[in-house]
Amino acid sequence: MTEPVLEVRELHIAFGALKATDGVSLTLRAGEIHALIGPNGAGKSTLIGLIAGSLSPDAGQVRMNGQDVTGQDVAARARAGLARSFQVSAVAPDLTVLQNVVLAVQGARGGSYRFLRRALSDRSLTETATAQIDRVGLAPCRAIPAGDLAHGQRRRLELAMALAQRPRAFVLDEPMAGMGPDGAREMTVLLDDLRHEAPILLVEHDMDAVFRLADRISVLVAGRIIASGTVDQIRADDQVQTAYLGEERLP
Amino acid sequence: MRREPLINLVIILLLLAVPLTAQAMDEPFIVTLATKVAILALAGVGLNIALGLGGMVSLGHAAFFGIGGYMMAVLAAPVQAYEPLMTWPIELAGTKSMPLIWLGAVIAGALGALAIGALSLRTSGVYFIMITLAFGQMLYYFAISWPAYGGEDGIAIYVRNGFPGLNTLDPLQFFALAYAVLLLALLLAHRLGASPFGLALAGARQAPARVAALGIRPYSLKLTAFVLSGAVTALAGALYADLNRFVSPSMLSWHTSGEIMVLVILGGVGRLFGPVAGAALYILLEHLLGGISEHWQFFLGLILLGIVLFARGGLIGTLAGREVAHD
Amino acid sequence: MSAMLLIEQALNGLQYGVMLFLMAAGLTLVFGVMGLINLAHGSLYMVGAFACAGVAAATGSFWLGLAASLAAAAAAGAIVELTVIRRLYARDHLDQVLATFALILVFSEGTRWLFGSFPLYLDIPAALAGPITLPGGIEYPLYRLVLIGIGLAVAAGLFWLIGATRLGVRIRAGEADREMIAALGVDISRLYTIVFALGAALAGLAGALVGALQSVQVGMGEPVLILAFVVIVIGGIGSIKGALVGAILVGLTDTLGRFLLPAAFGTFLPPSEATSIGAALASMLIYILMAAILVIRPGGLYGRV
Repeated sequence: MTEPVLEVRELHIAFGALKATDGVSLTLRAGEIHALIGPNGAGKSTLIGLIAGSLSPDAGQVRMNGQDVTGQDVAARARAGLARSFQVSAVAPDLTVLQNVVLAVQGARGGSYRFLRRALSDRSLTETATAQIDRVGLAPCRAIPAGDLAHGQRRRLELAMALAQRPRAFVLDEPMAGMGPDGAREMTVLLDDLRHEAPILLVEHDMDAVFRLADRISVLVAGRIIASGTVDQIRADDQVQTAYLGEERLP
Repeated sequence: MRREPLINLVIILLLLAVPLTAQAMDEPFIVTLATKVAILALAGVGLNIALGLGGMVSLGHAAFFGIGGYMMAVLAAPVQAYEPLMTWPIELAGTKSMPLIWLGAVIAGALGALAIGALSLRTSGVYFIMITLAFGQMLYYFAISWPAYGGEDGIAIYVRNGFPGLNTLDPLQFFALAYAVLLLALLLAHRLGASPFGLALAGARQAPARVAALGIRPYSLKLTAFVLSGAVTALAGALYADLNRFVSPSMLSWHTSGEIMVLVILGGVGRLFGPVAGAALYILLEHLLGGISEHWQFFLGLILLGIVLFARGGLIGTLAGREVAHD
Repeated sequence: MSAMLLIEQALNGLQYGVMLFLMAAGLTLVFGVMGLINLAHGSLYMVGAFACAGVAAATGSFWLGLAASLAAAAAAGAIVELTVIRRLYARDHLDQVLATFALILVFSEGTRWLFGSFPLYLDIPAALAGPITLPGGIEYPLYRLVLIGIGLAVAAGLFWLIGATRLGVRIRAGEADREMIAALGVDISRLYTIVFALGAALAGLAGALVGALQSVQVGMGEPVLILAFVVIVIGGIGSIKGALVGAILVGLTDTLGRFLLPAAFGTFLPPSEATSIGAALASMLIYILMAAILVIRPGGLYGRV
């Protein structure tokens, strides 16, 4: 079996008395979508922070392509091939869609410390960026400031930026949040296609989408993974059903 | 939406036309005022790199303005006293040549900004404002208590430094020099804004977490911008010292920081020509109000208050309307 | 002998520190509760000093002057809050900086207009003039000792106010969550005016008390303002305890640095050089302290970062 693209080993972090992540281990393998689900407050965002590098764990390891990256910061992990999207859209509102995506290309390729040349005159930057914008269906919006986009369009922009990084792994934090049924359906198709580019660790509340997309599902409750397996295994798991009682019944 | 370039053109041509007319009418004082506008605008262009492009509210740019000014004195004073600049570890003479002085000022300003920025950028928001202010004040007190360059009294350089091919003592020629440097700095700032670096910096200002997640460290971007900003402001300081042929700790005082910031805001933060419009308006107000009342600063304060509370976006913002995204 | 001198300087440092605390306390409360940076806080210090000097000169009573300084600074604070400051809460820091910088121009030039350019002198009240002998035989000015007492008493009062009164509960709630206290039915704009006026009164009190030691003049508040910023950076924004610890740290560092550094350099440099290098370094010492704390704890000693 090949080395996992992303691997988390026995991660721990506590905020005061709260054990937000309590011994979590999981892997992400080439070609798969691994969904991470769990009730609100289970520690999903904390886990993403630990994986992306915005939080550093009290104990445990984060490994990418067999390398320990636990000591590296967010930017270093991004350059090592980790692309993430944020739960609340984080794009530069005054920059256009094209500029935002060019920025992502720049981040992946380096060259952000060039001072005198026009960024948008660099065709190798803009062509790559434009291709990703077209791919997520934002072609008509290229010249619009990101702040003027509708919510669903902004989620697509996030995805285009993640794509432009040419990552080895995606970590997507609720890409369907706040989208209508149509938007969610289109996003599902996009993500399904994306897994061939790089595997996806998907945090998502939309269970329809999760069950349609995921190869594997891990269930996080109170900082621990209580179950991990295929869609059918998770559906049948009593513990998971119990954890979700009162919040939402699994379909 | 496309009015801004036209307004910029009018501003920069006016700044050229005023001293030319004044020269023709034999009003050297007005030429000197226009020179002051150009130099303060240059300081503002420097601050605007940090403030407008990088979103760093620095209330300590007098430090770099003063560093540039004192660099002029450090290099030119030994020549005036017929002494070497230093004898150890190597023997080095001072200089009265502006290009060399400017180079010294730019390097010293960049180094100062590197030190102050590296510490201040560990924080953000209100902390950043207070810390840059405090470090500026530190240099101010140092200049006051360090006797070598006149301490509190400052130091006079009797003959203006030279520039190859120009008679810098002629007000109009010195104006032309300051104006040319300002144009170069504006060109640099313009290119910077549209460059890959400018794009990344704008991203770091608006969505720092996102930029980090793209693999670019916001801290390094901001520090680089702060260093560029400090260097440009230091260059302005060297020119200002040459305009007055005098350097004193007041160049380092926090009122100077406040004034540079005020003129940037007056003109419009983040607007390329904001500092030019702001400096012109500021000097104009100073002289119009100064002619009416000895207590002109009182009225200047009231006008500034009115502008902040009721006319946001500065002069260029008011004239040109909403900022269009850079393309 | 030298130990006695050291104790005297340490007391001076403490006195300086508690006066800085009076300035920093108001600033840090306004930062913490309203999220506002107020450059004009030094102007309120000046208003207090001029009110005290003016009333003391007219009535002959320092104590009436002191009462006037509190009243004038609080009133000036309330008026400024009602007319200008409250329009700035929702603005970014840049607008706050510009507006309060403009307020400084108005206050400074307005004061010069009313009182002229010459400094005023404020005498120490007769009952507090002269030295007092401390245990150990140290002679120390009684007035400075009283300042230390007043400063510490105000600090105790503030801790009580924040920790044990309804106003304090509201202030703490306001620091935590503005919307929540509005939801609790607290009149938030009145709370802000009260907090601002309270901070102003403390600054005015400091200005009056220090005015009797130095001269009362336009611009006297600005160096103190910047030192108060240093105090807040060291102590941590919004923390009264941080302001107290930071203020005393800054007061002692500055005073003892000016006293000890020239002497320390004197052990290996000729006297004239030692004095100038020592003095120059001493003038930078508190900023070096601030830089060191920034490296170790960017959020300040008691900051919530």
